Amino acid sequence: MGGVEDDEPPSKRVKASTEDLGRPFDNSSRSVPFSPLGGSMARPLPSQGKDDMIGSKGVIKKVEFVRIITKALYSLGYERSGAALEEESGICLHSSAVNLFRKQVLDGNWDESVLTLHKIGLSDESILKSASFLIWERKFFELLQKDRIMDALKTLRSEIAPLGIDKKRVHELSCCIVSPQQRVLLGFANLGLETSNSRLKLLEDLQKLFPPTVMIPERRLEHLVEQALSVQRQGCYLHNSLDNSLSLYTDHHCGKDQIPSRTVQVLQAHHDEVWFLQFSNNGKYLASSSNDRSAIIWEVHEDGELSLKHMLTGHQKPVLMLAWSPDDRQLLTCGMEGAVRRWDVHTGDCLHVYEKGGLGLISCGWFPDGRQIFSGVTDKSTCLWDLDGKELESWKEQRTTRTSDVAITKDGRWIISICRETAIMLVDREAKLEKLIQEDQTITSFSLSSDDKFLLVNLVNQEIHLWSIKDDPGLVTRYRGHKRSRFLIRSCFGGYEQTFIASGSEDSQVYIWHRETGELIKALPGHSGAVNCVSWNPANPHMLASASDDHTIRIWGLNRANLKRKEAYSNGVTHQCNGKGQ
Amino acid sequence: MGRLFLIHLEGKIYSCKHCQTHLALYTDIMSKSFHCRHGKAYLFHKVVNVTVGLKEDRMMMTGLHTVSDIFCVGCGSIVGWKYDAAHDKNQKYKEGKFILERFKVSGPDGSHYWVSHDPHVGGVMLMTHDLLGT
Repeated sequence: MGGVEDDEPPSKRVKASTEDLGRPFDNSSRSVPFSPLGGSMARPLPSQGKDDMIGSKGVIKKVEFVRIITKALYSLGYERSGAALEEESGICLHSSAVNLFRKQVLDGNWDESVLTLHKIGLSDESILKSASFLIWERKFFELLQKDRIMDALKTLRSEIAPLGIDKKRVHELSCCIVSPQQRVLLGFANLGLETSNSRLKLLEDLQKLFPPTVMIPERRLEHLVEQALSVQRQGCYLHNSLDNSLSLYTDHHCGKDQIPSRTVQVLQAHHDEVWFLQFSNNGKYLASSSNDRSAIIWEVHEDGELSLKHMLTGHQKPVLMLAWSPDDRQLLTCGMEGAVRRWDVHTGDCLHVYEKGGLGLISCGWFPDGRQIFSGVTDKSTCLWDLDGKELESWKEQRTTRTSDVAITKDGRWIISICRETAIMLVDREAKLEKLIQEDQTITSFSLSSDDKFLLVNLVNQEIHLWSIKDDPGLVTRYRGHKRSRFLIRSCFGGYEQTFIASGSEDSQVYIWHRETGELIKALPGHSGAVNCVSWNPANPHMLASASDDHTIRIWGLNRANLKRKEAYSNGVTHQCNGKGQ
Repeated sequence: MGRLFLIHLEGKIYSCKHCQTHLALYTDIMSKSFHCRHGKAYLFHKVVNVTVGLKEDRMMMTGLHTVSDIFCVGCGSIVGWKYDAAHDKNQKYKEGKFILERFKVSGPDGSHYWVSHDPHVGGVMLMTHDLLGT
């Protein structure tokens, strides 16, 4: 890498480089000498001399930029390109002392490497000591491995201990001499100490001790690019894709094309209005319930198409809602006659009917362990049963009579229910604490986010409010635009990282808002009756389902123009839907 | 129609004559001395389970008002109106309040209100609950 000898005194080299080719080091630190390669070969062009900054904003130092590119070339394995770049730019990656140091470490010439270490020109004593410690420690272990116990002991006594740092480690090392188990504990009993990989690792550890200008950190360029991609990704507020590979060619920016906005399938099997639907936790099934007194389990196939798996009949009145067990193997349905039924998803059989004599059960849900279920009762209480129907607990006077929503957080601690017309209560079962969400308008329904930190509350006045419930409840955002005047219309979280809010509406459209900003992104027409409920597939951010008074369920997916490739989760199959196109 | 969202009241309840949907509480009555085409009407502080129609200006006995008709959410029948704005200063107290026509609702004890066949005889209506004071 150039014809300058290593044993030339540093001062000479400093003089040679006064012509500012771009010192890679701050003037403040003691300058580590470097020199342009071979003197006359790489004389700087006059114009280049003053150009230390590149890039349109003038914040990138040219020398730094070239050095990290050189480093990247070397770590990719392009030795010749790296060397050529150093030569052509005249900017050395590392000073020759550093290069020698690296070589000596990789070759295992420990003693010489420590000598060279002192020639690199590091001013900080503690860095020198720590680096020396690491090197001697390595020598120690390699000697131990070769069973040269006495030599190892000598190293410990005369080289490591005198450094006077990290006494605890010194003690541990001395234990290693005596006990092989200690070596295992410290992770050094394995073979391969002398492989180049493990020595490279040592070099990395050493590099972390040095100021970055002395030895460029490994993978620095990759790290900077990853940072930029991360910023782009975070700035993409409509991001809705499981595919996290971003291209370096253009800035990443999702448009609305990543949001389901086209009907890809119409499911027609119910004989009456569909009031409720929900995808299973694993996104492989969809369950819907209807005014026709039945519930249906649909299967979501690999290609994104849904087909009817089971029709669950038995309720004597319309089925109000349903709930998937945490393992998605069972389903609870709640009928308007006041009974709750538990079904096996695989066979479609009804496993149990839960009733409470004289009273009506008006909602249902699972306890997080999947072995208990709870239900809202018309006498304003909430009941907890085991699977066989034995009543375990009952919380009284916590709810209004008819508004049925009850939820339990995944840790089984908080019970959330509508306690008054305009308020939701959160009760901590263990600590007996209570938190209250107070609204100005009547609450019709709510849903809990998957991380249990937020509550989406639907109000009579056509507003949806997002509340944070982790600490003291606080109103975060409001969503408006949809229509509600008579019915129970439900909304849900959805999309990649639950970035979106979707809701049904009495004007037959599906509404989608951006969760953080509250901006209305889409209003999707297609249904010919009020949309009562929506559910976003938790495993597929591109699949949204809606239930309507027009007796159908619509599955929404991405626009046709964007279906470039068939992945497992893309809605590649399209169906004709009543000829109306969208 | 979808799953109706109904608010349930407790106490002495006035409900829709046709579908018994709860509409208002006795305790929310502000005045019983209103009149409409079909006879008596009560002014309520709060009414539930109704949808509100379009605003329009109407000339009433007490002056020009901006009102919206209100409809029962259960059956859609018109049950009264809501005062949006009063043009006369003396009538401002009505703003934001609701009128339920007595003819359209069932009283707390289930009693109804019949309009006499002879509309010209205004004011002379025979009904049981007048004696009871409901």
